[in-house]
Amino acid sequence: METRVRSRACACVALLLFALRASLGHEHIKVQEEEETPEDVKWRSPEEEQGKFRTPEGEVRVQVSGRALVPGVRTQDWISNARVLLDGDAYVGFIREDGGFSVSDVPSGSYVLEISSPTYRFQPVRVDITATGKMRARVVDYIRTSAVTRLPYPLQMRCAGPHHYFIPRETWIWSDFLMNPMVLMMVLPLLIVVLLPKVMNSSDPEMKREMEQSMNMLNSNQDLPDVSEIVTRFFSPPKSHGRAGGGARATVGGAASVRGGAPRRRSKMNTAVTYSE
Amino acid sequence: MAWLVVRLAISLSLLYTASAVFEDQVGKFDWREQFIGKVRFALFDTHSQASKKLLVATDKNVFASLNSRTGDLFWRHVDKTGPEGHIDALLMYGQDAVVVVGNGRLLRSWETTVGGLKWEAVLDTGSFQAAALIGVQDFVKYVAVLKKSAISLHDLSSGSQIWVENLPDSDTVQYQTIYSGGNGLVFVLGFVPSSHIVIVEYKIEDGEIMKKKSVEAAWMSSLENSCAVISSGNLLCVDQTTQSLYTLPLQSAEHTEMRQIHLQTLDLEVASGFQPVLTSTQPNPAQPPLAEFFLQLSPDHHILLQLKDDLIAPLRDFNPSYLAAFATSGEKTVAAVMTSKNDTACSINLFSADTGRRHLDTTIIYHMDPNGGKPNRLYVHAFLKKDDSVGYRVMVQTEDLTLTFLQQPGRVVWMREEALADVVTMEMVDLPLTGTQAELEGEFGKKADGLLPMVLKRLSSQFILLQAWMAHLWKLFYDARKPRSSVKNEVTIDTLSRDEFNLQKMMVMVTASGKLFGIDSKSGTVLWKQYLEDIKPDSIFKLIVQRTTAHFPHPPQCTLLIKDKDTGLGSLYVFNPIFGKKSHISVPALPRPVLQTLLLPVIDQDYAKVLLLIDDQYKVTAFPSTKNVLQQLQDTASSVFFYLVDSSQGKLSGFRLRMDLSTELIWEVVIPTEVQKIVAVKGKRANEHVHSQGRVMGDRSVLYKYLNPNLLAVITESTDIHQERSFVGIFLIDGVTGRIVHEAVQRKARGPVHFVHSENWLVYVYWNSKFRRNEFSVLELFEGAELYNSTVFSSLDRPHPPQVLQQSYIFPAPISTLEATLTEKGITSRHLLVGLPSGSILSLPKMFLDPRRPELISEQSREENLIPYAPEMPIRTEWFINYNQTVSRVRGIYTAPSGLESTCLVVVYGLDIYQTRVFPSKQFDVLKDDYDYVLISSVLFGLFFATMISKRLAEVKLLNRAWR
Repeated sequence: METRVRSRACACVALLLFALRASLGHEHIKVQEEEETPEDVKWRSPEEEQGKFRTPEGEVRVQVSGRALVPGVRTQDWISNARVLLDGDAYVGFIREDGGFSVSDVPSGSYVLEISSPTYRFQPVRVDITATGKMRARVVDYIRTSAVTRLPYPLQMRCAGPHHYFIPRETWIWSDFLMNPMVLMMVLPLLIVVLLPKVMNSSDPEMKREMEQSMNMLNSNQDLPDVSEIVTRFFSPPKSHGRAGGGARATVGGAASVRGGAPRRRSKMNTAVTYSE
Repeated sequence: MAWLVVRLAISLSLLYTASAVFEDQVGKFDWREQFIGKVRFALFDTHSQASKKLLVATDKNVFASLNSRTGDLFWRHVDKTGPEGHIDALLMYGQDAVVVVGNGRLLRSWETTVGGLKWEAVLDTGSFQAAALIGVQDFVKYVAVLKKSAISLHDLSSGSQIWVENLPDSDTVQYQTIYSGGNGLVFVLGFVPSSHIVIVEYKIEDGEIMKKKSVEAAWMSSLENSCAVISSGNLLCVDQTTQSLYTLPLQSAEHTEMRQIHLQTLDLEVASGFQPVLTSTQPNPAQPPLAEFFLQLSPDHHILLQLKDDLIAPLRDFNPSYLAAFATSGEKTVAAVMTSKNDTACSINLFSADTGRRHLDTTIIYHMDPNGGKPNRLYVHAFLKKDDSVGYRVMVQTEDLTLTFLQQPGRVVWMREEALADVVTMEMVDLPLTGTQAELEGEFGKKADGLLPMVLKRLSSQFILLQAWMAHLWKLFYDARKPRSSVKNEVTIDTLSRDEFNLQKMMVMVTASGKLFGIDSKSGTVLWKQYLEDIKPDSIFKLIVQRTTAHFPHPPQCTLLIKDKDTGLGSLYVFNPIFGKKSHISVPALPRPVLQTLLLPVIDQDYAKVLLLIDDQYKVTAFPSTKNVLQQLQDTASSVFFYLVDSSQGKLSGFRLRMDLSTELIWEVVIPTEVQKIVAVKGKRANEHVHSQGRVMGDRSVLYKYLNPNLLAVITESTDIHQERSFVGIFLIDGVTGRIVHEAVQRKARGPVHFVHSENWLVYVYWNSKFRRNEFSVLELFEGAELYNSTVFSSLDRPHPPQVLQQSYIFPAPISTLEATLTEKGITSRHLLVGLPSGSILSLPKMFLDPRRPELISEQSREENLIPYAPEMPIRTEWFINYNQTVSRVRGIYTAPSGLESTCLVVVYGLDIYQTRVFPSKQFDVLKDDYDYVLISSVLFGLFFATMISKRLAEVKLLNRAWR
């Protein structure tokens, strides 16, 4: 129960965050070529100069740092099996008890930073590091890779809810069964069959008589030829016509042919019923 | 229209539920074992008596806390592989553990109860030498890290750097050790080889050099093992060439020379060629070390000595003794010594450190595994019992990386097989039939000998079956009376038998340390293990199943080819995969390096498949090489082809076997090494079945697959690694004719390339260096609307090149490994299993990797159930087959078919091992686990009663009508 509440809280916060990002994002979404960014003065130079150094070859190595947060959960409860991964496990960092993390000795380049936790889900973040060691964070977009939607640096990683690994079993519930269209289709005629006569019974005797009459007519039409038979008769060559009449369905077919003009009569009857109503 | 809707619904349901795990299936048929690797540092938490923590740091860059009562993991932190994550030192004080990582680059302090990181400090670069806790006035407040040219002091509670000082003359002097006795000074000891020792004294507060002196020591070659500081600042060194001990008080100014004590005066002698080792102990970093120390004179000779009033006196001689270790509990320090008892057992005894007297009733008997290695490390956990005597438990690590935790009088509390942290290759072997099943099988195998004996045999086997059934019923009845907890289905090697769907198999795993394991796939129990001694590290292993369990009464047979990495010389080890026993079959000697192995479908009279080994002179050795086999080989030689890869010269060459088991070169493809290098060559899996020869299109025509069993996929990478010019090349080469069937180049791409080659398709993943993302690409080969020769495929007679379709997709995550599911008959749809660095295994339907996915949906594509093309591949956590049971550092995924067509067995190995079953098209051939028996039976009964009742009612009604 507790976990469910927690997850809902988490999801709510994530939603809020999304809403915030969406509302704020419009101002500083700008699409630009990645290559032209070095002169972008707004790039944050890492204030943690202790983490930055140059190798003997002159390549820059910086420390990527940030903070991860799972709302409503104590950090001790989730950090022991969480890791910070840059580009797979090319660079690995761990999360401190205050939620902060840092990944050291990262050379210049563009990386996708993700927090891998078996329980909680985090949105990955792309981190760009220039040759001079300046860095920025932006939203990961694998399709428009040059799109820049800036995110704050040092990184703020917020949990986007727990992972859903399982799908629920299909359980048999009465309401599911009843709301099934097939069942509904069966229920409606049943209602008509059962309820309609009762409704009619309460009306005046004249009506009743009329109804009975029409019912009798309906009953008398039981031995009407079915549509398929008419169609086959219509399409079949005249030779087999007679045979069909005296064939296997001799009784039914015979009766219909004796009365003749069955379709027309039926239509008449239908009109009679509607009038009576 | 209706059936179209139904098909759409089916495909949609497939899309969203395929291979997902239900919550109630957790642990039902899957299991995970977590490992840590070879222990380099192990510390018991002696902070409190009730503590169960055992902190370990291993060669796999893993830092973990084990429960010392059960051997389970409390928590585990897996760092980066390689030198950047290498753990250099592990120190522990109270609740905190300080770890030095990456050649002294990082200093991390961990809270040991929950495994949270307290602080992390980045140190200056420089090669790491030593680290030590520094105490001031009985409190440990600092940690000192010694680098090659600098020493730094850090605060233990916050990690902030107190001071850092350059070491004097660091270009000539090799500084190796730090010592502090808790008196406000830090000593750094260094030496110039064959010249002198340098001792530098720092003040703790500000790092000021108080004193610096050098002492003559012409014999000195290394400080690390042969020197130790004992008893309030006395440096003690041992030298093998002069057979002497040397002592020097660190603090006194007047001593400018080391005092030499000949070992002869103590009646001791160092074994020739052995570098003697000194072991001292400092129970509390804020206090000077003890005056007692161990001196190891030969591999199996230790002696406990004491320094008292500048005199060294032996306390106790342990001869023979394999291992010795100190342990402290409270104020008492003890020494545990392991000595040999007999051939199969060792005994460990406890001695008091200050007197050398043996504690009574403290013997632990350690039984050595006859199939294992020798013990090589001993870790002792001492504790005070209620009566104030010292009790202890020990952890023994052996050469084959088994950790055994023992308590008195020799009870094994737990055991861990850490060799499994490094599985190199594996195979799954069917379990044998039970005796009764085998008996029944035997009936059909034998030649008919008359009608009556056949009838009798049939009757007898039926009787046996009846007997077995009765026994089974009796057992059920017997078990039902017992309480549930005591009924445990213990899997032992004797009760192993195949289940009815062949879901339980034997996993034969080969580890890098040379230890072989047989593991029950259902429970993960290690059923047998075999340590192969004298296997060089980094050997290459290849495991081949020569005979399966299907040929009763011949036992199954596996062959392991062990190849030395440098020389390429190989040797064969033949064993029974079910029992792990070595077979006594004569194995051919392999005097020349083995280039290629080939398992032929040709079988000898004992039903073992023939293994061909090709050496560097292209000579072929057959195993087994009986007359029968050689005869068969001569008959089939003209149709045996094989290929060799020489990636250093960029050469692929195809050979054909001649009658006299020599070979002839047939084709050669040279891929110029200046431009690109061959990184991988893969054929198709030999046990793979393809069910349908083609695909039915929307217009009811058939697109036939190009199913060439001899097709090789060759992956190359460019030598130029510039992101604009790098590329990945893909060649599909026919292994018989050498014809290049298809060639593709992926520009602005680089490796590592993971790929799966199966049926008529090849799926590969590469890194797109322009857009900085992983991309999947799929190649499918089709013959077209007509098959050239529908009965048999011949590489030599296939004039039309196949039609090749290709499509690429973005994969929004990095990838560790890639494999495809495999089923018995190949009817079930295929899934790709993708190992992610986060430890999850994604089961991706092959349907998403179909080059015929249309950009615009048409009636035909809808009819074919093609998903419209989308550039980005979805990753859904419901598709993770291992839910939250992540597998660290996935190295390989092994798939095997089971007896059920719907089910594929999956083993994921890396640092951990995870076994599960996947159902790529759901379980269509068995009732699902959630099959609702109650509902179906209640509906049946309901209908039955309803008919009864309505029948009765109808009768009553009829009767009433008759009366009217």
